[in-house]
Amino acid sequence: MDDLNVKNQPVLKQFVPTPPRPPHKSERGILGTIRHRCFNSIGNSLLTLCVATVLFYLVKHVLDWAVFNAVFIADNRRQCMDISPDSACWAGVISWFNGLIYGRFPVDEQWRVNIGVLLGLVWLLPLMSKRIPLRNFILLSWIGLYPFVGGYLFLGGRFGEELGLVHGAMTCLALAFLAIIYANWILSALGKKGLNELFVPLVSRLVERRIHLLSFVAVWLLVALVIASGLSQVSLEPVPIERWGGLFLTFIIAGFAITMAIPVGVILALGRRSKLPVIHWLSMTVIELVRSVPLITVLFMAVTLLPIFLPADMEFNKLTQVLVAVCLFAGAYMAENIRGGLQAIPKGQYEAAATLGLGYLHTMVLIILPQALRMMIPNIMTSFISLLKDTTLVSIIGLFDIMLMARNIANDKDWVGMHTEPLVMISVLFFILCYSMSQYSLNLEKRLKVDR
Amino acid sequence: MTTSSGNLAQKAVTETAIKIDNLNKWYGDHHVLKDVSLDISEGEIMVVCGPSGSGKSTLIRSLNHLEEYQEGVVSVFGQPLSRDRQSHKIIHQTMGMVFQNFNLFPHLTVLQNCTLGLTWLRKMSERDADKMAMRLLDRVGIAHLATRYPGQLSGGQQQRVAISRSLAMEPKIMLFDEPTSALDPEMVKEVLDVMIDLAKTGMTMVCVTHEMQFARQVADRVVFMADGEIIEVGPPEQVLVNPQWDRTREFLQHVL
Ligand SMILES: Nc1ncnc2c1ncn2[C@@H]1O[C@H](COP(=O)(O)OP(=O)(O)OP(=O)(O)O)[C@@H](O)[C@H]1O
Ligand SMILES: [Mg+2]
Repeated sequence: MDDLNVKNQPVLKQFVPTPPRPPHKSERGILGTIRHRCFNSIGNSLLTLCVATVLFYLVKHVLDWAVFNAVFIADNRRQCMDISPDSACWAGVISWFNGLIYGRFPVDEQWRVNIGVLLGLVWLLPLMSKRIPLRNFILLSWIGLYPFVGGYLFLGGRFGEELGLVHGAMTCLALAFLAIIYANWILSALGKKGLNELFVPLVSRLVERRIHLLSFVAVWLLVALVIASGLSQVSLEPVPIERWGGLFLTFIIAGFAITMAIPVGVILALGRRSKLPVIHWLSMTVIELVRSVPLITVLFMAVTLLPIFLPADMEFNKLTQVLVAVCLFAGAYMAENIRGGLQAIPKGQYEAAATLGLGYLHTMVLIILPQALRMMIPNIMTSFISLLKDTTLVSIIGLFDIMLMARNIANDKDWVGMHTEPLVMISVLFFILCYSMSQYSLNLEKRLKVDR
Repeated sequence: MTTSSGNLAQKAVTETAIKIDNLNKWYGDHHVLKDVSLDISEGEIMVVCGPSGSGKSTLIRSLNHLEEYQEGVVSVFGQPLSRDRQSHKIIHQTMGMVFQNFNLFPHLTVLQNCTLGLTWLRKMSERDADKMAMRLLDRVGIAHLATRYPGQLSGGQQQRVAISRSLAMEPKIMLFDEPTSALDPEMVKEVLDVMIDLAKTGMTMVCVTHEMQFARQVADRVVFMADGEIIEVGPPEQVLVNPQWDRTREFLQHVL
């Protein structure tokens, strides 16, 4: 934006609102707040003391059970009982910990899961920086390309044998894209031109128009080729999908549901508002049908009915069917959220867009959806959180997600009947996950509020 | 006043920008536009006034197809408009519109509001679009607010952004639907000044407004509407000072 400040144009200054005045002196600090809020009258003081006592005993009991008297090292449940009969036996959870996280993924190959999940996070990391080039593409590429890298790492196998060639090509493209994002990020941080911009003069000699895009594609393909030749040297041990499980599988299902919820939801919501009767009724049927049955039935239907409808020679594994079902379910709920947001957009926005000459797609993508989605952040996040929790239902149809692994502990002959501790652990885990999601949504809301 | 009549004389030879031919519109049984016919020549400043509910907004919104009409033809630079893609293209290439309640895009900064059409429709590079938008914002005197969001601006400033946003698409005709009615009195002037400047550049303008001062100063012709009909058309001296019809006289007594 600096190059805008050419002659006789005023300097652009970022708008900084004045901060509010600090509170009165007696209300400052923790002690001040406590005195002001909890001990401002005799009745309130008594109430505060009562609540504090009850809380103290509650916390003490919980801590006694979970921490102070708990057993962390034991060989089996009997030993636990002998050491401390009335408190938690974490030894069982600890010995099954690996199973809870990775399911039945072969221990020697578990590093691939770690790398895969890490890569997924690393991919999104550049979004934190505001100044990175190609910012919009990062999220899109994550949705479109990351699954191939993840699939390659998690499934293993050689391209052209266990994995399709297309999958291989997409994996290389995905890794190349990631490499370019990072290269460009580092270069732009150093104040240099991006990788693709270095190529511009070279490409512009060959073709005259569309230089920027072409040079980007050229760099992309080049890096992908290098990566492909590298990957063809390594071969990963194949791991069948049936062995995926634990928190890892929960993450895959929930992650898929969460990323697909918005695109599917947007399509269904726009379809429902469409003036074409076929599209309108189709979207409406899907939304209403999926919304009015419990997720379990959707899951069962996907596993039992989908194979019947589809041609016989098409074979699906259970995970794919579940992913389709969860995606539909998430999309149908999201569609209603988004429709709510769409309805709140004033008619004037459509008219202003129309007078500028924006068509349907531009109007929706640039004007309407950003506002509708922003408005609906709390609802969308609530949906995401319940999706994360709902995915634990897949254990019912026999996927070894974290819930089924937890129940398996109680069937282990060493830890027979141990139900409570694994469930407590899962609760804590889910609390942490869901709470951070809701905190993030509050943060996001606050950050986007300036616009209103 | 002399300048405006002088302008008209010069413009008399120019092309017809908008030709409205027997426009009729019904809302159910309610006949809101009755046989409206009007020619607007290129570079002409046309002010439309009349009592509330007389169909001024409906008329001006019919011109760029924000409203549908049942009968009649609107032609722009000799091209009769229909509901097809070609007509839409003509409308968007020739007409810009400014609304009573601004209708800025609240999730975009002032600058982005102005560059949106340039980068996405004209495929202009971001740099060029920014430069062009900044020039327009500077012209309406709010270049220093370019990085703010519309919610952080006063009404008058928002309306000036809306004008720049329309101008960025380089229209030949600007439509204004009561651009100052939602503004506090002290902000009306800053928007009118921008419009007066615009009028001096030779832009064809159709303004629905109750600002009679503005009409007298820059309008080439004033249209007075009532009950969906055009009652009176003529230069401001005639319609505003010596109205021929009782309805016009009565209305003018209210607004002046
Ligand atoms: N969507 C609608 N459905 C039915 N009648 C409508 C609709 N919109 C407008 N009308 C009617 O059409 C007539 C003309 O309305 P229009 O908005 O054009 O008036 P106007 O001259 O712009 O008034 P104002 O000065 O208050 O803006 C009014 O009688 C109004 O009641
Ligand atoms: Mg009106």
